[in-house]
Amino acid sequence: MELSDGMVVQRVLDGEIELFRVLVERYRAKFGRHAVALVGDRDAAADAMQEAFIRAYDSLDRCREPDRFGSWFFRILTNQCHDTRSRLRPHADIAEVDPPSGDSPDDDADRRELGLMINAALDELTAEQREAFVLKHVDGRSYEEMADLTGVGVDALKMRVHRARDTLREKLGARL
Amino acid sequence: MSIRDRWSADAHRYLDGTPHGDLDPEERREADLVLEAVEAWTEGLEPPTKALDDAVMARIRARAPRPADHGWRWLIRPQPIRMRPVWVPLAAAAALAFWLVAKPGPEPEQSIPVASASATADTVFVHFHLVAPDARVVALTGTFNGWAADAYQMAREDGGIWSITLPLPVGEYQYQFVINGERWIPDPRSQARVDDGFGGTNSVVVVGPRGVVQS
Repeated sequence: MELSDGMVVQRVLDGEIELFRVLVERYRAKFGRHAVALVGDRDAAADAMQEAFIRAYDSLDRCREPDRFGSWFFRILTNQCHDTRSRLRPHADIAEVDPPSGDSPDDDADRRELGLMINAALDELTAEQREAFVLKHVDGRSYEEMADLTGVGVDALKMRVHRARDTLREKLGARL
Repeated sequence: MSIRDRWSADAHRYLDGTPHGDLDPEERREADLVLEAVEAWTEGLEPPTKALDDAVMARIRARAPRPADHGWRWLIRPQPIRMRPVWVPLAAAAALAFWLVAKPGPEPEQSIPVASASATADTVFVHFHLVAPDARVVALTGTFNGWAADAYQMAREDGGIWSITLPLPVGEYQYQFVINGERWIPDPRSQARVDDGFGGTNSVVVVGPRGVVQS
């Protein structure tokens, strides 16, 4: 019998603090990659996620819809990730990243370079655009799922993703 | 790079993975390159490991008790009681009266099992209460009825209090409440709990010849 989020939240509020681990395991697995993508650094993302869980625990009695703990925690997590990314030293400037040669025998190296280019280009996006882009292209969510998770309308999310792509296109420039 | 400053509408649809029109071959090549770059980047993203769970729980354990655990709540949390049978009915009535007076307002799902009187030398009537103002129906289930989810329906009283009285032989019992036929919860106020084997916990009530001795 899998406990619902609402049931876990209620029990934790009643004093069974060890049950909070259920939520940590559940949403570390669900949002972990998203956090790393938003922050751009694995260790810093782990720290941000840890802080987000602590903040969620401290304010658990203000979670108005315990059965939607995931959406509530997602907001805490993304805010923490945005703060963390803004405090990190800037990622490598995209101009410093060697572009893939295209005819290199080392395809893995080419792919790594492509990845570095994207990570560097993400610094040029607003927090909202970066979040929308990650939800769409890293998490692979539909716009409807994104709207359900963020509480932002589908049209607004499409706009953010489109602007993010346009900015990436501009920044990637000659690399394309 | 193409002469476009921005992606065309068709390119956005293509990047969304939705049906698109006749995408310019050059723009499609660029879109494919971006998708490949994103895929390469995503592959390199390693999510935090299970060590994160341990770190979070260690910090939580090291913190002070939740604010909700302080104040008047300790007054209404069930405590083990021992009493002579003759005092049990009065104690039960007093406990319920105190509950109704001390409680500042409706709060979902609160309960307290109280022994009321001995039916026989080794059987005790035990009252179970749950405050659940929003519930449509509440049942009591446990080892005393083979975990039948709907055998012991509780009666609703004023203030959203659900109650039932069971004659229980002296012994130890595990139990939960079933709200609206689907939501199983342990007694929110019970201190005695055990693993239910399904990732949750059961409340425990211990009935002695002189009443409830632990809950």
